[in-house]
Order: sequence, then structure tokens, then C-alpha cells
Amino acid sequence: MPVRFSAGRAFRRIPPALGIKGAVCMKSTINTPVKRVDAAAKSSGEAKYLSDLDFPGLLYAKVLRSERARAKILDIAVPELPEGYYYIDKHDIPSEGANQVLMIKEDWPVFADGEVRYIGEAIALVVGPDRQKILDIIDAIQVSYEDLEPAFTMDEALALKGGPIHGEDNIFADYHLLKGDPDDAFSRAHRLVEDEIETGYQEHIYMEPQGVVGTIEEGKITFYASSQCPFYIRKAVAHALGKDLEDIRVKQTVTGGAFGGKEHFPDVMATPVAVALTKIGKPIQLVLDRIEDISYSPKRHPSVVRFKTALDAEGRIVAMDADVLINAGAYESCSLVVLQRAIFSSNSVYDIPNVRIRGRAVATNNVPSDAYRGFGAPQGLFAVELHMSHLADLLGVKADEFRSRYFTKTGGVTVTNGKIKEDVKLPEMLEKIKKASDYDRKLAEYTKGGLKGIGISIFNHGSGFTGNGEQAIIKGVVKMIGQSDGSVDLLVSNVEMGQGLQTTFRKIAAEVLEVDYESVRYNNPDTDLVPDSGPTCASRSIGVVGYLVQECSKKLKASWKPGERAEAVHQYAPPPGLEWDQESLQGDAYPSYGWGINVIEVEVDPVSYEVETKGIWSVFDVGKAIDDKIVEGQAHGGIIQGLGYASSEKLEAVNGRFMQRTMADYVIPTSMDFPSIDNQLVDNPYPYGPFGAKGAGELVFDGAAPAYADAVQHAVGKPVDRIPLSPEYLMEVMSK
Amino acid sequence: MVDGIRPKNLEEALRIRQESGAIPFAGGTDLMVRYKNWAGTLPQFPKSVLFLSHLEELKKIEVEAKRIRYGAGVSLTRIYEHPETPQILAQAVRGIAAPALRNAGTMAGNLVNASPAGDSICALYALDATVICRSLSGEREIPVIEFITAPGRTQLRDDEIVTAIDVPKLDWNISFYRKVGTRKANALSKLSFCGLAKTKGGRIDDIRIAVGAVAPTVVRSPELEKELSGLTASELEGRFETMMESYGAMIVPIDDQRSTAVYRKRVALNLLELFLGKELKKGV
Amino acid sequence: MSEIDFILNGKEVRVNVDPISRLLDLLREELKLTGVKEGCGEGECGACSVLKDGEIVNSCMVPVGTVQGCEIVTPEGLKETDRGKCIIEAFADSGAVQCGFCTPGMMMAADALLHRHPQPSEAEVREGLSGNLCRCTGYDMIVRGVLLAAERGKGLW
Repeated sequence: MPVRFSAGRAFRRIPPALGIKGAVCMKSTINTPVKRVDAAAKSSGEAKYLSDLDFPGLLYAKVLRSERARAKILDIAVPELPEGYYYIDKHDIPSEGANQVLMIKEDWPVFADGEVRYIGEAIALVVGPDRQKILDIIDAIQVSYEDLEPAFTMDEALALKGGPIHGEDNIFADYHLLKGDPDDAFSRAHRLVEDEIETGYQEHIYMEPQGVVGTIEEGKITFYASSQCPFYIRKAVAHALGKDLEDIRVKQTVTGGAFGGKEHFPDVMATPVAVALTKIGKPIQLVLDRIEDISYSPKRHPSVVRFKTALDAEGRIVAMDADVLINAGAYESCSLVVLQRAIFSSNSVYDIPNVRIRGRAVATNNVPSDAYRGFGAPQGLFAVELHMSHLADLLGVKADEFRSRYFTKTGGVTVTNGKIKEDVKLPEMLEKIKKASDYDRKLAEYTKGGLKGIGISIFNHGSGFTGNGEQAIIKGVVKMIGQSDGSVDLLVSNVEMGQGLQTTFRKIAAEVLEVDYESVRYNNPDTDLVPDSGPTCASRSIGVVGYLVQECSKKLKASWKPGERAEAVHQYAPPPGLEWDQESLQGDAYPSYGWGINVIEVEVDPVSYEVETKGIWSVFDVGKAIDDKIVEGQAHGGIIQGLGYASSEKLEAVNGRFMQRTMADYVIPTSMDFPSIDNQLVDNPYPYGPFGAKGAGELVFDGAAPAYADAVQHAVGKPVDRIPLSPEYLMEVMSK
Repeated sequence: MVDGIRPKNLEEALRIRQESGAIPFAGGTDLMVRYKNWAGTLPQFPKSVLFLSHLEELKKIEVEAKRIRYGAGVSLTRIYEHPETPQILAQAVRGIAAPALRNAGTMAGNLVNASPAGDSICALYALDATVICRSLSGEREIPVIEFITAPGRTQLRDDEIVTAIDVPKLDWNISFYRKVGTRKANALSKLSFCGLAKTKGGRIDDIRIAVGAVAPTVVRSPELEKELSGLTASELEGRFETMMESYGAMIVPIDDQRSTAVYRKRVALNLLELFLGKELKKGV
Repeated sequence: MSEIDFILNGKEVRVNVDPISRLLDLLREELKLTGVKEGCGEGECGACSVLKDGEIVNSCMVPVGTVQGCEIVTPEGLKETDRGKCIIEAFADSGAVQCGFCTPGMMMAADALLHRHPQPSEAEVREGLSGNLCRCTGYDMIVRGVLLAAERGKGLW
């Protein structure tokens, strides 16, 4: 069985006796909203983002990119450069270094080495003081290619068109999950239902484009970066240059949105700049132009999920088979982990007795796909939710009623044969949202195909790294210093990128220490000053690191005397009662889950096939909100981003090139595209989260697309099977 | 060297235009996108540009008995806010981009840019607008339907500047506009539809149909409109199929990054059907 | 290069620049007014919004040669006014700010729309902000922020 992932320790077992039931949560009114600490500086324009920073003698860099999707580089003719301009490529990588961007894998080169695998791959950097001259130099460089036959679609790649791009089979990762006895269940099935569901690319459109500045400060290689993970950059730069981690310093700058797009890609930005820096020794800025950013930065993985579901004579699901394929693009980066989350999510909140899941991440000659809010879960959840809608329709059962028959609960078994530990409040949440949205009446009144529709999605999202990542790989550490003047320094590597962390972390520390939240200092992380509490991703900042902040605050409180200075350090330890085997991907994939239900109401224009969203309702269980308003803001933003994914955000790769390359053509929602959102939270404190909090940032994205698709198919009276649900596609559906 | 020239008045602008062929630059919202370059570098204009937006001569909206004359420097915002602006033009202009762009952009610029997806162009076709082109040697009045010759191409000569657009004042009791864009606001058009009619005593007295972004230039047929004129509701019904076919033959859209040819054609015909079959009936 | 005079945040300034260079670059790189941001460089996102003679425009679409004699207000100017302070406060109270990259432009758009509609409806606010893209908030809290500013700032616009 080809399970290829083997990083981390083979097995980790924690005594299951220590179940979490009965553990005591801290009770508090921490959720009462406060003013965000960064609001005024950001509104007024005082906050300094990467490209706002002033560096004396700053040089600019531009990437010379491959124009071919798959080719050998035969020759690069570089004209004679004017004084003060530099051409930097793989030959400039220090001999002790490596032409590899070390992320989760090392397959992505810093600079193309004799071959290119996608349009836009970095071949070289041109660096100098005048940007027009840099453009002229890039224009004058002649790259000679010998074209090879590319494989763009997953079908082409699986058929090994042009020969394998990766390994022998173009498969970066191939996983198999088994729960119960699907073979037996399928053999006894009364009826089989098949379904094929697709999702498209999605571009992050963080408002601030990708940017890094590399410079030498006090003799040390120092990076300023718009980034989610300063320690990732440090690791990647050290690896490329062959230096020790301590030789590199990374300072996060105010980050204008990220959504996963600044998790790994800043490593791809920083490593070539680092190579240039070792040669030039002056500050170098690499900031992508928006068109470059859309064209060549990583995207959400497109996916195809094929279901085969076995029903018994009473119409009950007895077994489910899911085959999940994600288009990983030219380099693996983190695709294996995205794939894990995609398959772990592909049964959503339903406890189906017999399940077989296969997942594959496929290498193609496209821009690499990478992290994007949800990290595989949106694809898995969209597929299963839409499949559940199709099944309910087929059986003539109401969408919500059909789903609720399979709700998991405490003790429920997951697709990785782990157990749900927490109290599942889905029934209560379903009641709340149905009441708020007047769901039952609308579902009954809007006849199928009558152009008005109401749709629902029910979903969960595991907080933190998949499997044993937190204890095997991250081992997060938080440090705090209580100062003699009564102020507190909070030292963590997690970043504020819009999600409110600078406010919520301060609130957690302040609540424990019984001080004002504004007396807690928490600056943008600098790898020379803060311990590595891990990356800012995977809905782990509050749920995992926030808990470390809480526990560290308790330690500090115990030792800190008024008028004195005291320090406390706290390191991650897994909650008790979890089991995980990374080899076989068996056990508790996540320590806890956030839960959500979305309802969307739409009306379809039969003339233009455009969809108007009439109402949006959501209910979330994020344990406990650290700040009601910040979580509400996450919910709003996540849902609208999810609705963009579902509707207008069409990104087509044709022959390895995206057709939509500007913000005019890649269409994210404006203030006029969707109505306001009715959001509710339920309290369900989690004992190993700060004040009971779990992750929220990705959960809030996950449900919008399937609820929207469910509503649209209700309105048009015909099944849909893909997003984006463009008017062009809906025209086809409605004409069938 | 490419320069940005700021003439003192229209006279000087015309002289510079004649001498250098500098590109007329009104709001610049199309030119700055077309010649966009890297941050911190200059836009890549192929020739010098001639700034016009400050010229008082071009900033007037003059309402006369039979027409409204919009100076070429009048912003899109001022056009749609003007009480005398025909409803269909106001709707079309208001549907362009977003406030900041409408404050800078001009209708003359939209016209000279001559994109098949230019939103005001479709309405100007329907309204039988006239373009005033001036050079040192005089003034030409060109019907808009003749002014645009192909995507991005117009009859404007190298020594001319568009100084105004004339829109006839006519009473339309039926005015039907639809922009089908990539989203609800700040959107480029996949297609747009303008239908105008004057009905009297149960008959169509005058009718205009213009469809944008479904062919190299706006689709409008004075011949078919003539055939429709004078018809009653029941006569219109009898001609419905042939009308749909005749317009269908003129609607020849393309696939691009915003939409597909199939969709554009289908929706254009759906809108035509809606206009002829339903909207018109409100008057006949 | 030519000399261009204009009023910037209430003060007369004279700059010597290429008239086709973008106002955005002049503000950010020469004058170090980095409250205007470059999100797209093609007039789509609104992060570089400024007021030109009281109306909102995208500074990435404005060659410096066209601002001769004009009055330009950037976020640095607006934030010092009572109107600017009112919006900043209302944004903070409404949860309108997340990553913040769009927010200075949103503040400019809010000021411009409140000039036009001192007591705006929600629909007017949404239209007024439609050229300013935000990827974080889903807009609701920004809309609420503008409505709150309108309510608190009666008489300011």
C-alpha cells in the first residue's frame, strides 16, 4: 500500500485513560469585544508594510521567469550589464548551500537548474538600483529552450503524457484510509450512487502583494518579510546558503493579508534574494507586481472527488468510497499535507460505518498549488456536502434531515478511526440556524426549479497541525517576561496578519495576569528575539499557541512579584487521550474541531443565469470566542471569501498559464456583491484551548461554497457538481 | 522622449496635437492601465501624452432644445448625476467601474478607447450620439455608429481631439438597460443591452436596440429597427421569430477570460427576447 | 522633468518630476507618504485612493502632470481632520480593520461618500465603497463603521 509520507516519529501513544470529559475550563467574560490594538495605526496609514519601509541604498530585484511550461534550458544569453546591476542564478548559490527551497519537501529549486517545470518558474534574479533599467535588462536576456511535452491536467499527468514530471508516476502522495468493512457493505448494497465533484483554483488576493527585503544588519543576513512564518524563512534561507539557523534573522513586517499564501511562498521569494545578498551585500527588495503575483504565486489546489455510496433498502448510507485527486502543480511543497486534510475532511461531520478513501496529489506542469485557508478541507468538505445534497434529493429527504441522521457525536469514529472527544452541538446549532433563516418554511415554499433556493452546509475543521505535527515537528515554545514596571512582554513567533492575534493574544495573557491588555507588549516577531512557537497557519494560533500563552501566563503569575522582573517559558505538550500513527494515518487526526453550519438563500435570474444571494446565516462553535467581534469579523470575511470561491472567482489554467491575471479579471467580491451576514456563536469550551477556545480562521471559510451550491441547485431544480458556479456553467445546467 | 504636456487651452492643445500627434489624455483610466509598468517606473506610453482634463473648454455640459452636449473632459460621475442625462445613458455610465474611476474617467475616453465592452458606447449607439472631433483645420461631427470602426479603432485623425459628444434629446417611454458584468460592481462587461422605444396609440413609433460586447463593435441595425417601427403588439408577435434570427446572425461574440461566446450569445438573445416580448408590451 | 505646484494635505508643494510619473509613486517614494498603498496598480482595488479636489480618485491612475493647481488629500492629511478622526474611531469601534492594507483607502472612500451623502443608507455606503476591495472583512463591519461615523459625525460632512 503506497503510503509515502514518513516524516516524524513512527508512533505516538498517550494513555487513553485521560479523557477530556470532566476537565475544568476557565470561565470568563474574555469574549467581550475590545478595541483592536492595531486599528488606528492601520486606518490612518501609519502602519508600515514591507514596501513602506525605507532602506538607504535599496536595490530592487525582478525575477527572470520561464516562459515555457516544460523545457530544457539550452542557453541563457545575458547582455553586458551596466555598472551596479547584477544577474544572479543557480551558479551564485554558495558551495556550502543547496539549490533547494526547503519547505516540507526540498524539490522546489531556488533557481531553475537546467530545466523548467512551469510557466513563471524562477530562472534568475536581476538586481539593481533603477527599475526601468532592470526591466530593460530582463527584456534583453535571451533564454533558449528545448520544449518537452507538458502534462497540464491531472488526467494527462496520470497518463504520464510527456513522461513523468515527478518520480515514476507523477504522484506526490497516495494515501488509503479504511474504516469498518466497506467491501462487505458494498457487496450487500441495495443501491449504489456515484458522483463526481470538482473544485477550481483559487487565488488568495491578500491585498498586500508578496514582498521581502534582504539586507545585512550588524553583519547578519536579515530579512524583512510580509509573512506568516518567520522561522520558515529562516530555515529555508539557512538551507539554501548552507548556514546555521542562528546566522539568519527574519523580522515580520505588518502583513496585509495572507490566507495561507504567505505560509511557504515567502521562502520561494527570500531564498533567491538571499543568494543575491551574499554576492551584493546591499539591501534588496523583491516585491511582486499584482499581475506577477496572480500569475505565478501558488493557488488553492483544484480537486476532483469521485464518490461511490452504498444505500440499503431503507435508503440508509451503509458505505462510502471516495477517490480524491488534487492538482499539485509542478513542485510538491506542502501538497502531501493538504491532501491529508482533504481526505480527513471528506466525510465531514458524518459518521458513516464503512468507508474507503483514496487520495492522490498529482504533479502537473502548472504553477504549484499550496496552502490556502482551509488547506484541503474546503475541497473535501465541498465534495461530501454536495454529495449529501445529491443523495438527499435522490431519496426525497430534506437536506438537513438527511444530514442529521449521520451526525457524529462524542465517541463517534472518524475516517482515521480516531474518536470525537468533545461535545458535538450540531443539533442545537441546526435548530438555531433554521430558526434564524426561516429555513423550513423557505425549503417548503420554494419549489425546486422555481428560481429561489435555500441551501445548507454542515461541517467541521480540525484545529492545529494534522496528526502528530504539533509534538513531532513544531514543539512550540512561548516565552513571557513580566517587567518591573508591571508591563509584560509576550514573545511568540505567530504573526498578526489581519486575524486579530495582536489583540487576542494580549487579551489571553492579560486575563490570566489580571492586567490591562494594553500593558502586554507583543511586537511583530523577530526570530532573534522570540522563541519558535510555530507557524501562523492551520487554525493553530489561538487553539494551540493561545493555550501555551495562557499556561505560560499562569506560570508567570505564580512567580512574578510586584516591582520585579520575572520570566516564564512554556512548551507544547499534547492533550491527554490522543492517539496517532503517522505511518498509517490512523488515530486522532486533530485534538479538537471547530463546528459550523451555514445557510444561504439565493435567487437565479433565468435571463442571465446570474445568482443573487438574498441571505446568509451562520452558526459556529469555536469553543469560546476570545473576542466576539474578532471572531465575527473572521466569520464575515471567511464566508464572503468562500462565496467568491463558489461563484465569481474563476481561475482557468490554459496550457499552464492562468487566463485571469489582473484584479479586473480575477473577480473577488466587492461591497455590493453580497448582503450582510447573520452570525451566531455557541459556547462549547474546550479544556485544552485558552479559556476554552478552538481554531476559527479556516472553519469560517469552509461552509459557504457547499451551502451556496446547495441553494443554487434547489433554485434551478437540477444538480450542480462543481465550483465556481459561473453563470456560464449554470446556463449549461439550466439548459439540460 | 515621451513627455506629458499640459496645454494652456484647447487652441494650444490642438496645435500640439497637430505638431506631435501626442495621445489625448482625458481621465487616463484606460491609458494608465494599457501602459501600466512596474511601480516606480514611468508608464510605457508609445508617444507623448496631452493632458486635457483641466481644460475649461471641455468641462461643460450644455443642454439645448434638441440635444445635450457633453464636453470631452466631463467626468462620468457628472454625466450620470446630470438631471437631463437620458436614463439609459445614466444607467450605463453609473455601471462603469466604481466611484474613483468614474470621477476621473470620461465618456469621450470610453469612446476613443473603443473597447467592444465599453459600457457608455452601447448607450451612445442606441441614442444616435454624435462625436465632435476638432482640429486646427475645423470640426467634424461623426455619428458614433460610424466613429468606431473596429475594436480599439476609430475615425479620429492624428491631428484631432474629441471635444464633445452630442446626445439627441428624445422622449422614450420605454428604456431598458442591462449590463451583465463579471460581478455586481466594479465590473467589466461580459455584454450589455440597450433597448429604447417610443410608443404611441398602441404602435411602436421609434425603437432602438443596441448590444455591446457581442461583436467587434456594438450591434445595432437601423434596418431592423425600421421594420419594427409602426408595428402593434400582435404584429410584433408575428415578426418575433424572424427578428430573433436576424439579430442572432449579427451577434457573433468571442470566448475570452471573462466569458464564453456561447453564453454571450445566449444571454444577448434572452435579453432581446425579454425586451421585445415583455418590456415593449408595456407600451403597445 | 517639470515643476508642478499643488496643494498637498493643506500645504502648497512644488515638485520637480516627470509629469507622466504616477502620483502614487510621487507620494510613496519621493514624499514618503506611505498611507497610500499599491494593491494592483490598475485602478481596481482602491488601496491608493486619495482625494483630488474633494473627489476620490486612484492615485495609481493619476500622472503627476495632471495635479497642477489641484488640492490633494492623502490619508496622512485626512487623519488629522475631525472627519478623519471620526472615521478612524468608528472603524475601530465597528471592527472594520483586519489586515489594514485596504483601510486607509477605505477611510478616503468613506470621507468621499459622506460628503455626497452625509446620512447615507446602507446601499449608498456599499456603492461608495465598491471600488475599494477588501479580502479580510467581507465588508459588513466596514459598512457599519461608515454608518457609525455618519451618525456620530453629524455636521462634519
